[in-house]
Parts: sequence; structure tokens; C-alpha cells
Amino acid sequence: MTADSVFEPKIIGFLCNWCSYAGADKAGGMQEVYPPNVQVIRLMCSGRVDPQFILSALVKGADGVIILACHPGDCHYKEGNCRALQRHSMLMLMLEQLGVEKERCRLDYVSAGEGEKFNRVVRETVEAVRRLGPFLPAVAIE
Amino acid sequence: MRTGIYFCNCGSNIAEKISATAVVEAAASFPEQNYVATVDFICSEDGKLQFEESLKAEQPDRVVVAACSPRDHEGTFRRCLSNAGINPYLMQMVNIREQIAWVTEDPAVATQKAIRAIHGAVCRVEKQLPLEKKQLEVCPDALVIGAGPAGMKAALALAEAGRTVTLLERTPFIGGLPVRFEELFPALECAPCMLEPLMGELLHGEHAGRIELMTMSELVEVTGFYGNFIAKIRQKPRHVSLRDCIGCGECVEVCPASATNEFKNNVSLRKAIDFTFAGVLPNAPFLDQATCIRWQGQECRACKDACPMGADVINLEEQETVVERRIGSIILASGSGLYDAAHVAGMGMGTLQDVYDALQFERLLSSTGPTGGQIVTKAGQAPRTVAIIHCVGSLDEAHKPYCSGICCQYAFKFNHLISAKIPEAVITHYHRELVLPGKEAQTLFNHAVRSGKSRLKRYGSIADLAISRDTNGSMLVSSEGEAFPADLVILCPAVIPAEGTDQLSALLDVSLDSSGFFRELHARTDAAQSSIRGVYLAGSCREPMDIQKAIQEGMAAVGHLLSGLQPGRTIDIEPICAEVDETRCSGCHLCVSVCPYRAISFDTEHNASSINAVLCCGCGTCVAACPSGAITGHHFTNEQIMAEMEGVLK
Repeated sequence: MTADSVFEPKIIGFLCNWCSYAGADKAGGMQEVYPPNVQVIRLMCSGRVDPQFILSALVKGADGVIILACHPGDCHYKEGNCRALQRHSMLMLMLEQLGVEKERCRLDYVSAGEGEKFNRVVRETVEAVRRLGPFLPAVAIE
Repeated sequence: MRTGIYFCNCGSNIAEKISATAVVEAAASFPEQNYVATVDFICSEDGKLQFEESLKAEQPDRVVVAACSPRDHEGTFRRCLSNAGINPYLMQMVNIREQIAWVTEDPAVATQKAIRAIHGAVCRVEKQLPLEKKQLEVCPDALVIGAGPAGMKAALALAEAGRTVTLLERTPFIGGLPVRFEELFPALECAPCMLEPLMGELLHGEHAGRIELMTMSELVEVTGFYGNFIAKIRQKPRHVSLRDCIGCGECVEVCPASATNEFKNNVSLRKAIDFTFAGVLPNAPFLDQATCIRWQGQECRACKDACPMGADVINLEEQETVVERRIGSIILASGSGLYDAAHVAGMGMGTLQDVYDALQFERLLSSTGPTGGQIVTKAGQAPRTVAIIHCVGSLDEAHKPYCSGICCQYAFKFNHLISAKIPEAVITHYHRELVLPGKEAQTLFNHAVRSGKSRLKRYGSIADLAISRDTNGSMLVSSEGEAFPADLVILCPAVIPAEGTDQLSALLDVSLDSSGFFRELHARTDAAQSSIRGVYLAGSCREPMDIQKAIQEGMAAVGHLLSGLQPGRTIDIEPICAEVDETRCSGCHLCVSVCPYRAISFDTEHNASSINAVLCCGCGTCVAACPSGAITGHHFTNEQIMAEMEGVLK
């Protein structure tokens, strides 16, 4: 990477099927562009996100991860999003100890109607990770 | 292994941004064996046909469809796979329309993103396994808990549909709370008359043979799950045979013992063997052991000897029994009660004479009540001034935060009935809010307002109201510095879940909301379903409501039940569910605690968790929680998700 080229981070997005994936579809329906850096992996529920997926993504070449869930109280599976939040909070403590910047792993809530919010969260995350630069797992984790 | 990649142009929707040619070229360099076919509109009738024909000709091991959102057409394409003789779960969709083509500016960038996503899907789909829906035999019969309006309607409708129903009722009678009232809002219909056709059909109608009514009974244990529950029911001895009793009341006449009648809100007495109230159904008395002198060591068989129908009708030796019933679904219609107004300071409930709550006042209005329906004070005078206090404990963070929904309507009914009996009475309504929804509720309100004898006074907080007696013994209602006399005070307390709701919640694992009512699966889209599959909610056990709505809810629950379980038909068990590998389970129970559907239990015999596939909804939170990696989330396995992730990152 040369000094004047813009760094394009690779970001993995774990989206729950019922709210945030539908929110991403809604963002698509609005046909407003957002940065292409997030590759979406659809899960049925944010509660399925195993913290190992996040560590694995970072080790295997991602510069950042976003987990998008239903808003608290709106989870299709009642409380999967609360589990996702608990696991994310725990993982953040661990990532901090490993020297991984917290901006590399964001959890947020996007409802099926919030196309604009999805667009904004993607922009913000890409920008935040871009500022941090590439993730070098050899330094942080291994 | 060879994967067929089907790329949909979606007219220009996708083709404009993502180059099919570039995708074909890129796929040729994937290490995974594949072929790419391009279709113009794969979801169209022609497109589906072309897709199916191609699948039959190519016989791929796995399929990737790069098109629109799987939320649109995953089901469509799974059916195409089935039609082509391929297991439908061997397909993965890539959403290159909504999530790439429509939101990416530069076609070259969009194409690169699509290629990464398609590669991820190819890597994932190679790990996917064929899955089959399993079938489960079910019992179409039902248990209905509570024989109020909602429960009676549900039981009768189910019986009419040919189902066998067990109808449990805690009290000795059917009809719930309203059957005791002589006039109901909004049209002043007599409740027993209004409910009589329903009750008559339930007890003696064409379909009554399929309804097993168990009075003085309660649920003590439930095992199993949707389609196959076993309910244990405890039936207290009634000591009177519902089958043989003719309801003549000879036994009541001769009974020497009496107690206050809890079914008449303790404002009158009943005998140890008695009818709960006049006109009660089933038309048979019950014997209350707590009141009967036999159970206090005295020898008495006056009732049995007085029975003109013989020695078999009254059975003084009858014991409590516990019976089991096999059912497929349960309808909870356990109803509601009133908040104890004594909890609200300053209302004088239980301390001041001539202060009644709404249920007690209903008894005073009743022609079979303690005054024969005359509205009189304890001193025997007709009240000249009446205060009706609305929102007692409702809309109040210190008590119940919600509006009870029905109180304003019965308060204006009281207004109407008092005016009819005592035309000169001045009635003051003290209210926090006035709630009169729907097309009929305003009628009685208008009547009160137009009578010229009714006043409305709004208060900010019930703490600003105080009911007291002055030195002359006259009752006063003070509010914000003003005091008005009231010879009689009627309190409209918050509607609360019926006694026993907590126990039912614990027995069935059905969640309660913050106010103690049964919580809906979804408060708006699935209000008739509880948090437990196969357990439905109807009537005021869910939230405060009137008879009309309760009966509608009884029918709504029946709708779910009839469409869910049908005689002779099995239910499908979704293959996207979780499964425990017993050999890897460490027995930590973590999965049991995180499952939102109580689908996981701990099998002590095998010392491992076990997941009930009927109850599992496939969310996968237990899979993520398991520290031993012992749980597989079918169709969303760690291996599949990791493969997709690596595929998009390569």
C-alpha cells in the first residue's frame, strides 16, 4: 500500500435474518450507495454469533467485524440479541487485553425498516476501520 | 464435488452493475469445481423451468443462486431443487441485487464484491448437508383452562369442530366473573341471559358429549410438548354428582352450617352445601368441607338424607382425585380479578362503611343480593350522593401502570343503574383519565352527562383524593381543597391477573409480562400464542378486556389450534434446528438456560443435554453458548459459517 492510496478495509458483517438482514435489503431498495467493504454473512439470529467467528474473521484476513441485531425487545427469538450483546461485551474485554482496537468489532441494532441506519452504520464502521489501518493479527493475537 | 452457480441478471437490475462475464471468468479460477449458468429472470415461470431443466441435465452436487434476497425467493428455489430431485438444503443464495448491485456505485467494484460473495457461498454450500423434514404424530385434543366467556367459547367451538376438550374450572360453576352480573355494559344485557345459550350448548348441546367439564379442578403438572402433552389434573371432591343432581336445593334447606359466600364477594352467607349463586350452572350445589360440620368431627348427614334422588347423588366419602389427560394443545383462559383497593391509601376500603369496590357493588345491585337489589347505605337510607372513583390503582406507577380498559364503561353503567333506582341521586365521577373506546362505549357516558345529575372531576394523582367521615358521620370525598359529600362510594380498582396465574405460568413455563399477565409470543402479530408452542392465550388472562373481546380471543385461540393440529395429520419438524452430541456434552447446563423456547432439557440418565426438535426454533444461541462445541446448529454449522467467511476473505 502506498502512502497516498486509500486503504480499503475488509469487514465481515454478521446479520440476523429477521431485522438487520431485512434492514440491509431495505437499504438496497432505497438504492443509495454505501461503501462496498462489508461482506454480509446471514445468520438466523445474532445470538448465533460465536465469539470465535469474530476472532477467526480477524485472523483470516478481516480488518473489522460488525454484528447487527434486532433492537432490544424486538428479537424474533425473544432474547438472542441480548445474548449477542453479552457475548460482545465479554469479547470486547478480551480484545482490549489483546490490543485489538474496539472499533474493529462493533455491535449495533438495525430494524427491518431502518435502511438508512444500515447505510450509516456501514459508512461509520468502514470509516472507523479505515482510520485504524489494516489489522495485523501477528502483532495482536498470535 | 461440483457446484452449479446460477447467476440471475434480473433484467438490468443486476446486469447493469455486475458483469456475468467477469463472474464466469472468476469462477473458472475458483479451486472448487463448478459451472456457471446465466439466467435472465430466474424467478419467472420461464426462469424456474430453465433452472430446473438445467439442474436435471447437469446433476450438480451443490447449487448456488446469485440473485435477489433469500428473503424473497429462497423458498422458490428450494422447491425448484426438490422438483429436480435435489435436496433443497443443498442450495445457498447470494444476495447480489439488494446488497450489492443496488448499493454499489462502481460496476467493477460491485462485480468484485459479488465474486467474493459467490465464492463464499460456493465454499459454504460444499459443507451443507441434505436435510429432511421429520413428521410427528400428534393428539388433536385440547385442554382449556378456565370456564369464563373466553374458555367456554373456545371449548364449545373446538367440540363443534369434532375435537375432544377437557374444560377445567377452579370454581364449582361456569361463566366466569360476568355471569354473576345482572346488567352489563354497554347495552345493559343480563349476563346470565346473554351467556345462557353458550352455557346451555356447552353443558347439554349437540356437541356437549365431547366436552369434559371438570369443576373445582386445577392443573398440577404438565409434561411433554406441542402435540403431545400429558396434563395431570387435581379434582377436589364436590360431593354432589353433576350427572345425577337435579338442582332442587332440598339439601341446602336442611344444612345446619353456614359461612360467608366468597362467590358473592363475601357480602352474604351460604350454607356448607349450597349453590354459589342463584341460577348457577351447572345447576348443582357443592359441599364445602371447610364449612361442613362433618369435617369438624360432628356426625351429620342431613343433606344426604334430604336428597330426593337417592343415596348416590351426594357422596360424603368422595376423595380428591388426580387424573391424567393426553392433549395436543392448551388454551389458557384463566381470567382476571380486581386489585385490592385497600392497597390504595385514602380510599377507605375495608375501614369505612358504605365504601364498595366494583364487584361488591354488583352484589348490592343484584336482585338476589343482600338488599334484594335496593341501593341503600348500611343505615338503610337511599344515598342522595354517590362518588364513583375511577382508576383506583390503574395508571399509577405506585400500583398498576396500565389502564384497565373496562372501568370507565362499567362506572357509567353504575351511574345509569343508580339513576334508574334513585332518580334524585347526584353522582360524581372522580377520574384520572376517561377511556371510552369503540362504537358503543359512549352511550352510557352520554346518558350520564345528559342526566344533569352527574358530575365529572378529573384528578392528577389518587394521592390528592381522600375519603373520610366527619364528626357527624357523613362521608366526604376531598380533592384539591374541595370536599363533596358522598353517602356511598364505589371504587373501580385495577384489573389484575386472576389468582393462580403465577402457578400456571410456573407449571407451563409460560412467561408473564411485567404486570403479571401472560405474555404473548408477539404482542401485536401473535397475541393469541404464548411463549410456549402449543399453549394459547385467550381473554383477560392476557390483558384486561371486556366480554366481547374475550370471546373473540377464545375463537382466535381455536383458530390456531385447529390449523395447527389436525386429526390424522402429522406436524412437520423443521430440519433447521440444533442437536446435541451426547459424547461431547460436558453437562454444564448452559444451553438449558439460554434457550428462549425451553426446548432443551437435561437428560440425567445420559448425563447430557437433549434438544426437543419440535420446540427448537433454530436460532442457534445454544450453539454459540456451548463451551464444548457439543451442539450442531443444522444448516448453520460452525464449519459452514467459517467456510463462507474464509471464502469471502480469500
